[in-house]
Amino acid sequence: MEDDEMPIEVLLVEDSPGDVRLTQEAFRDSGKPVRLHLAADGIEAMAFLRREGIYANAPRPDLILLDLNLPKMDGREVLALIKKDQDLKIIPTIILTTSDDEADVMISYQLQANCYLRKPAHWDAFDSLVRSINAFWLTRAKLPQQMQNV
Amino acid sequence: MKAGTVSSRTIQLAVGSAIAVLLFAAAFSYRSIAASSESNPWVQHTWEVMDDLRDTTIGMATISSSIRRFVITGEESDLEPYHAARSEVERLTPVLRNATLDNPEQQRRLSILEKLAADRIERAELIIALRRNQGIEAAMKSVREGPTVRVTAEYQAVVLELRNEEERLLTLRNAVAAANVRHTEIILLVGTLLGLFITGAAGWSVYRDNFRRWLAEQALQESERRYRMLVNGVKDYAIVMLGPLGEIRSWNPGAERMSGCRFEEVADQNFSRFFPPEDIASGKPREMLGIAAANGEYEEQGTRLRNDGTRYQVHASYAASRDQAGNLRGFSVISRDLTESSESGAKYRGLMEAAPDAMVVVNQSGEIVLLNVQAEKQFGYRRDELLGQKVTNIIPEGFAERLIADDLRSAEDALAQQIGTGIELNALRKDGSEFPIEIMLSPLQSPEGTLVTAAIRDISVRKAAEKVLAQMEGKYRGLMEAAPDAMVVVNQGGEIVLLNVQAEKQFGYRRDELLGQRVTNIIPQGFAERLVADDLRSAEDALAQEIGTGIELNALRKDGSEFPIEIMLSPLESAEGMLITAAIRDISVRRNAAKVLAQMEGKYRGLLEAAPDAMVVVNQGGEIVLLNFQAEKQFGYRRDELLGQKVTNIIPEGFAERLVADDLRSAEDALAQEIGTGIELTGLRKDGSEFPIELMLSPLESTEGTLITAAIRDIAVRRNAEKHLAQMEGKYRGLLEAAPDAMVVVNQRGEIVLLNLQAEKQFGYRRNELLGQRVTNIIPQGFAERLIADGLRSAEDALAQQIGTGIELSGRRKDRTEFPIELMLSPLGGAEGILVTAAIRDISVRNAAEAHLLHKVEELNRSNEELGQFAYIASHDLQEPLRMVASYTQLLSRRYAGKLDSDADDFIAYAVDGATRMQRLIQDLLAYSRIGTKGKDLLNTSSEDALRHALSNLRGAIEESGALVTHDPLPEVLADEMQLIQLFQNLVGNAIKYQNPGIPKIHVAALNGGKQYRFSVQDNGLGIDPQYFERIFGMFQRLHKREEFAGTGIGLAICKKIVERHGGQISVESQPGVGSTFRFALTGSNRK
Repeated sequence: MEDDEMPIEVLLVEDSPGDVRLTQEAFRDSGKPVRLHLAADGIEAMAFLRREGIYANAPRPDLILLDLNLPKMDGREVLALIKKDQDLKIIPTIILTTSDDEADVMISYQLQANCYLRKPAHWDAFDSLVRSINAFWLTRAKLPQQMQNV
Repeated sequence: MKAGTVSSRTIQLAVGSAIAVLLFAAAFSYRSIAASSESNPWVQHTWEVMDDLRDTTIGMATISSSIRRFVITGEESDLEPYHAARSEVERLTPVLRNATLDNPEQQRRLSILEKLAADRIERAELIIALRRNQGIEAAMKSVREGPTVRVTAEYQAVVLELRNEEERLLTLRNAVAAANVRHTEIILLVGTLLGLFITGAAGWSVYRDNFRRWLAEQALQESERRYRMLVNGVKDYAIVMLGPLGEIRSWNPGAERMSGCRFEEVADQNFSRFFPPEDIASGKPREMLGIAAANGEYEEQGTRLRNDGTRYQVHASYAASRDQAGNLRGFSVISRDLTESSESGAKYRGLMEAAPDAMVVVNQSGEIVLLNVQAEKQFGYRRDELLGQKVTNIIPEGFAERLIADDLRSAEDALAQQIGTGIELNALRKDGSEFPIEIMLSPLQSPEGTLVTAAIRDISVRKAAEKVLAQMEGKYRGLMEAAPDAMVVVNQGGEIVLLNVQAEKQFGYRRDELLGQRVTNIIPQGFAERLVADDLRSAEDALAQEIGTGIELNALRKDGSEFPIEIMLSPLESAEGMLITAAIRDISVRRNAAKVLAQMEGKYRGLLEAAPDAMVVVNQGGEIVLLNFQAEKQFGYRRDELLGQKVTNIIPEGFAERLVADDLRSAEDALAQEIGTGIELTGLRKDGSEFPIELMLSPLESTEGTLITAAIRDIAVRRNAEKHLAQMEGKYRGLLEAAPDAMVVVNQRGEIVLLNLQAEKQFGYRRNELLGQRVTNIIPQGFAERLIADGLRSAEDALAQQIGTGIELSGRRKDRTEFPIELMLSPLGGAEGILVTAAIRDISVRNAAEAHLLHKVEELNRSNEELGQFAYIASHDLQEPLRMVASYTQLLSRRYAGKLDSDADDFIAYAVDGATRMQRLIQDLLAYSRIGTKGKDLLNTSSEDALRHALSNLRGAIEESGALVTHDPLPEVLADEMQLIQLFQNLVGNAIKYQNPGIPKIHVAALNGGKQYRFSVQDNGLGIDPQYFERIFGMFQRLHKREEFAGTGIGLAICKKIVERHGGQISVESQPGVGSTFRFALTGSNRK
């Protein structure tokens, strides 16, 4: 219940507003105290993670949901950067993308994504997927303790 | 005459008896012939009888056959032969009787015959009657029962007897006739022979008589001839033939001389003319002849008259000669002149006359008292012209002085001084010409005192010869002096009589120190002994043994040093007897040379023996003078069998001809032509087998002239190898020409030694333009460098590095255009070293093809890539908006279900549905496109595993429908596993989906079709209308409404694409309402 008191910070890196809304709706239905942060492209995502600029006070996310096909900086790059960074690499990063291309899967795992999920086409499935994420990553899995920047 | 009478009488007798004999013989012959001619009619007769007998037999037979026929036919016409035969038989019987009248036996037989014939005819008549009257039966019966056969047989028997008898008679008569003939022949023969014999004997005796007479005549002639010779030969005696009355018929030269007359003057005159007149008057000559005639011979001594009137005494013998009849033919008179008082005088005279030399007898006063005919001839005088003359007439000086007694000495003494010596003087002929003579004197005692007989010899010839000899001696001396060798002339006593300057030098003596000395002074041993005549042999013989041979001896110089010499001897006739000329050669140098030569010969022999080839040395005459061991072996002879033999024995042709000097060239030239060249010839072994040889010749100087050394090598193996090589070359050439690729053979220096037609074509050259050229002309770079031996590696190594690899280079045609080639090299051992064979292939086409292929592949790859990209894009970018639509509409439906009106629900539902379908379509499209772009290589795949996998994927559908899926054992195939699973999944899934009510039953099978397996997926589903069999494999083709069955209609299109990618075809058989069977083929696994 301690976890429940503290909201779970999830960074969603997604460029499609539609998909953003869906994700939001799905998380809302999950019932967990999840605070969804948004980054529309890779640059923003890195800025958020590095607490640069307007994101100076951004919290460190407990989970990153990362789409691969992003403008400006591609999700793969972001993944690579995250996993290179000493501080950031401990954050579980889940690839959430429409692509089921084997190559993409391989690259993602090679870049040390924690998990690769394919966005379902239907809402029901989507909803169910988010619930699974909740159930697994946010309930069952132990996440490393975050040190809040002062 | 007697002989002739005898002969003619003999002849008469002979002729007479011959005629008598012949007549006698003729008479006998006539008689015999007459006798024999009698017998001829008999022969004739016998034959006639025989014929007649035969005819009767035939007649009888005809009768029988005719009757029989008539019996059968009953035709009267068939009786005609019978009638004819009957009358014939009846006719012949008396004829036969007549013919044999003289023979009772025959007559008897004939009677029997008659009877038999009559019987037969009677019976015949009977039978005829029977037939005519009672018919065939009766007649036949009669025939059968009758004695016909017996009768006929009897008849024939009798006939036979008759015939035999006649034959016997005939034989008898023939014998008699023959005997007669023989008699005749014998008599004729005997008679003729006798006649001939008599004639021959007569002739023979006549001939013999004649022959004997001829012989006697010959003998007579011979004796006459001899007699005449004798008569003529006798000079001391006058032999005269007189006729019966004393007429001089013939006489001899002696008579001529004695009388002083020539025969012509006295022929046919009476011999009394030589008598003194008083004798003639007293008739003494005639008286003497008479006595001689009466007694046969008579001797008397009397006086005769010479022609010049001088009287001389003779002693004469008379012999009367008579002919065979005893008539006096004449007398032969032999008279001897008794003028010389003593026998010795007469003898002497005879001798004188007979002497070959002129003989003159001179008295103390120097007058010629006697001379002979030769003296007459030599001096050209007649005897009477010289007799009594001073001898100085003929020998002006030197003779008379010597002989005349003078105050200083007596004649005998004077003579004694001269006797025996040959004195050369000059003589004077009648015609005043002088000539040299030699006189030999001898005393002659006579009543008138000592006479001197001088034998005078004309020595003009001899003088001339002596002059020539003197000249020759001069020349000879000159030669001797000039001779390079020492020349020494030695006499019989072994003394040096002559020597030349060389001899002086060689021996170190002065001439006068050697002349007259014994030759042993300079040649101690070996010369004198050889030459002196001794008891064992004469000088000539001794000399003859040594002439011509070079004798090696030791000579002694004045200073005592010895040196080896060789002497050659030759005889020399001289007035002093046989001399020996010795040519003396100092051979010390030669000895050394000989020693050296012997050494060299030794070495040479050693070399010869050791030589690996057969070596044979041949002289100018083509004879083998030397050979080595190898030669013995090669030719199969022993050394001694070849030495001295003609080289043609072992090399029949080609050697001797080349080397023998002939009119065209000398031996040296001949040889020079052959030195150094290897001449190929044929050698002949002892066993007659031939083998090919190669000769190498070289000259060899020797004491016997130029010899030729021939090294003989057996090249049979080489020939074979050459032949083999030539064959191989031939084969190789054939291969070369036939090769489809250009072939070029290159030698160590990079020159083209061989090429084929293809090479000519490819490079555009003619063959002879390339042969011998450097290969860099056609392959500028990359070939020659690779192959040539250089300081770093040998040719073999260079080549070894290249063998087998296909080297891509550039070739250059004649027109300077280049084209890509590929070389394949292989080595080729040749006589000239390692050659390289290069197969050259024009790969421009290939290159172009390759380039084209590459290009196409690139295009394909590019297009594939594009397609892949497209698919990717399609999947992503298309799906994104769709997802939005679908998701939100669904969210809507969830959120606001029931909160909106039912229309809104419907609308939302349609929207969702549409979106959903759209998504599926896109996904299917993507899947379809990926079959090609993401297809993997076909590997060995277990189709059974693939099916199981597919079934596992369909687990849900299978459980739900309760479908029963079975399969046969499925093979391993070459396939992309994922796609195979997809294939099975689609087909089985379809089968489950399009099911009939009830349990869907699906069976998967695979039939082995050799390389491929024919798979089948059979179901009991709805089935398909045949008109759609093609369409269902099209993209998005559906046969059912969406409400009935889900699906986009791409499943079978995917199946088709997968199967096609695997190299097969997919088809369907179906019966609507029953089921469908989908068939496709896959290649079996290559791992068997």
